[in-house]
Amino acid sequence: MKVKQSEYLKEIKPVLVKLRDRLLAEFPYASLLAQDSTAKNYSVSKTSTSVQMDGRLTGRGFVAKVYDGTSYAEYSFNELSEEKIEEIVTAVKGGLMPMSGHLPEGVKKSSYAMIADEPLVFADSTEYELDPEEYGDEKIIEQLTKFSGAGRAYNEKILDCRAFCSYQKYSKLFLSRNRDMEQNVLWMCGGLTTMATRGEEVKDSYKGFSVLGGAELLKEIGENVSKVAQTTLDLLSSEPIPPGEYECICEPGVTGMIVHEAFGHGVEMDMFVKNRALAKQYVGKPVASDLVNMHDGAGAAKEVASYFFDDEGVPAHDTLIIDHGILKAGISDAQSAMHLGTEPTGNGRRENYERKAYTRMTNTYFEAGNDKVEDMIASISYGFLLQNASSGMEDPKNWGIQCMVDIAREIKDGKLTGKIYSPIVLTGYVPDLLKSISMISDTCELGGSGFCGKGYKEWVKVSDGGPYIKARIRLG
Amino acid sequence: MTERILSALEKCGIADYQIVLTQEESAELFFIKKELDMQRCKKVRTANVSVYRVFEEGGKRFRGVSSVRVQDSQTVPEMEKLFADAFYAAGFVKNAYYDLYAGAKEEMVEVESTLSGKTLAQVAQGFAQALFAEDVQEEVFLNSAEIFARCYTIHIMNSRGVDVSYRKNRVQGEFVVQCVDGQDVETYQDFAYNDWNADALREKVRNTMELTRARAKATTAPAAGEYRLILSGGYVDEFFSYYVRRAASSMIYPKYSSFSVGCDVQGGEGRKDRVNLTMKATVPFSDEGIPMKDHELVKDGKLQMIHGGNRFAQYLGIEPTGVFGGYKAPAGEVSLGEMKSQPYLEVVNFSDFQMDPFTGHFGGEIRLAFLYDGEKVVPVTGGSVNGNIFEAQKNLVFSKELQVEKNFEGPKAVAMDGVSVAGI
Repeated sequence: MKVKQSEYLKEIKPVLVKLRDRLLAEFPYASLLAQDSTAKNYSVSKTSTSVQMDGRLTGRGFVAKVYDGTSYAEYSFNELSEEKIEEIVTAVKGGLMPMSGHLPEGVKKSSYAMIADEPLVFADSTEYELDPEEYGDEKIIEQLTKFSGAGRAYNEKILDCRAFCSYQKYSKLFLSRNRDMEQNVLWMCGGLTTMATRGEEVKDSYKGFSVLGGAELLKEIGENVSKVAQTTLDLLSSEPIPPGEYECICEPGVTGMIVHEAFGHGVEMDMFVKNRALAKQYVGKPVASDLVNMHDGAGAAKEVASYFFDDEGVPAHDTLIIDHGILKAGISDAQSAMHLGTEPTGNGRRENYERKAYTRMTNTYFEAGNDKVEDMIASISYGFLLQNASSGMEDPKNWGIQCMVDIAREIKDGKLTGKIYSPIVLTGYVPDLLKSISMISDTCELGGSGFCGKGYKEWVKVSDGGPYIKARIRLG
Repeated sequence: MTERILSALEKCGIADYQIVLTQEESAELFFIKKELDMQRCKKVRTANVSVYRVFEEGGKRFRGVSSVRVQDSQTVPEMEKLFADAFYAAGFVKNAYYDLYAGAKEEMVEVESTLSGKTLAQVAQGFAQALFAEDVQEEVFLNSAEIFARCYTIHIMNSRGVDVSYRKNRVQGEFVVQCVDGQDVETYQDFAYNDWNADALREKVRNTMELTRARAKATTAPAAGEYRLILSGGYVDEFFSYYVRRAASSMIYPKYSSFSVGCDVQGGEGRKDRVNLTMKATVPFSDEGIPMKDHELVKDGKLQMIHGGNRFAQYLGIEPTGVFGGYKAPAGEVSLGEMKSQPYLEVVNFSDFQMDPFTGHFGGEIRLAFLYDGEKVVPVTGGSVNGNIFEAQKNLVFSKELQVEKNFEGPKAVAMDGVSVAGI
């Protein structure tokens, strides 16, 4: 089934066209992005159940982007009617544009060319099996309640099990002088968190799930309850790891975190514009083992960050970032591409219509290789299997790694010993880690249960992943 | 919009509700080096409506809730459908019964601020002046910056008489300082002020430039081992967050936290410095309309109260305090100079420092630290801190000097012994 077009955007489109034309009478370039989005969060735990719309992702609103012959400016608003068109034009001309009139001494406006605005008319929707709105709140809560109960019943040591899911169904319309684009997208994600106590400590284990689709995801969540609960119990016997550099196998979720946090942020080309990314100096040079091929793109995979065009009206791409260990290209929004003289890659994304567009990752992953996971584990005399990626932070400037995982399972003489260390901080220098990759599994998994921030804000939905990889990593 | 929401609620026969209306305007400036790369303005109005449903099942009484977002573009029939669906969904939310918070109509509160009386554009421009005032060197400079001047009005109403509102101004943003003297390095900083603290921003830029210059001289990571660790700046705030989050009713009621009033949150007597914390009201009313005021949270290591919203407070049989936006801690008795008179590793910049309130684990990758071996101070970079508060809190020492961060006021630094560091 295809996601349906927003009735509201269909109705308001003639007014948007009038507003666009009115802005084009004042400015050489003007575009409008319109969004109509519904997003809902569901959660069930021992003491709390909640159903609520997601305030960040839900809403109808608009962004007007104008070019005054030198640079770009934007006005975000969410009340529109024929009567308000002149009020909006006045706010843009009289409130927004004069802001650059009083800049600090020595600071000037950037100078950009006008967006080429090649003609493009487009409309498409993603597909789903089960619409969460039609499936209904009652059944979703019923399913989550069952999962939460099963998690708590798994073992008397389990303190709680939170089962949760979210979906976003959105429609976007992009209008400029020569573009008229429409897309309708639905994704769903969810997860399980189980907790158990060890004295004052509360150990928890998390597993996320996601799909470019709908409530068909719930089945997969339910199938994993026991596995997540058992992992939490395993953590009760964990201890801190002796710091050091070890041979490691990373499961796909940990590979994804390394791909996304350690390397991906460094090839967001707005960082090239600011000279904040070391990767800029390495285009055309080796940055990883020649086994490594890395992609990013809303068109590179069917996951939660898939769409047909970005928030600047640029069609989705599949960008090959690393080709057999050589850094080939970065990803960019339209304005950064203009600055650098490159082609935009469909990565200009906004948290929502209230926010600015930045270069953002979408679906980011390493390609699968040829190795079997069991052979990879058997190849290690002493090391760890790293699981349950928990958080990471980028360092595009210096390629420092900060990633955290919940579990390091000890491997001795090619076998898992059953001993667990936790929590684990991965550190080091990104190219050292990527160049040390010596084996890559023949399967590739992507997951998109989380959001990605630009620094500490601007949250957008992303997916990441890849195969199991074998690498040398400093753990602490 | 309020009238239409109330009309739709009435037509749906919904007796229990809460409405939070938000109107926000902003002026935003985005700089790359010494160029204004983008200017933005925003004017939006939204409402968050929670509808409640009381029902019984198996002899137990429940109060379900479901929340929806409403906008001006929605007609009354659209709102009716939204509320009716939410009311239906609330019937499956089996939360133990509680009463909605009861209040009264109060006059709009204008939160006092020296930002008031100026346009948002003037505020953004004024802070831009402060930001660039220190950007006068060649090797150390502002790489990029973002400034958001905001004014928002919040109006909270519910079916039990709450009808309160306030207006608040705030300026916030972030900047990155780059140093090309030796190595090419950078430091990220964010800022937020409720008043015209342009001088504070200017000082922050100056300090960040000094730190970044020091980082450019750091070439190696500390050796792996245990260190007497000093945390400073915003990391002191994150360190204290363990106590604040564990003292929340939403953590205590489900037994994720074993804290209780009177308990020793620091794990017993015989500690060096004792923890003292006061929760700080940063807005006049919470999202439920609860009047916010400062509350003492921890005194000499002993928990004085449990904080949080209405629902969990009722479950625990305590007074709701509302959800706080900040907290403060008093000064210690040791000066920074005394604190640094014996060997230490002072981390002044992490890539991302985190405190886990469940496990008590804290850590992060070191972007810049100063290592003192008893003879000389050396800047270091790389490696990671991997500590646990259950051990660290036995020997905390707080500095005499104070700092004011975004939502935290307290000691400039905290020292603790025997923290594990993964280095070279």
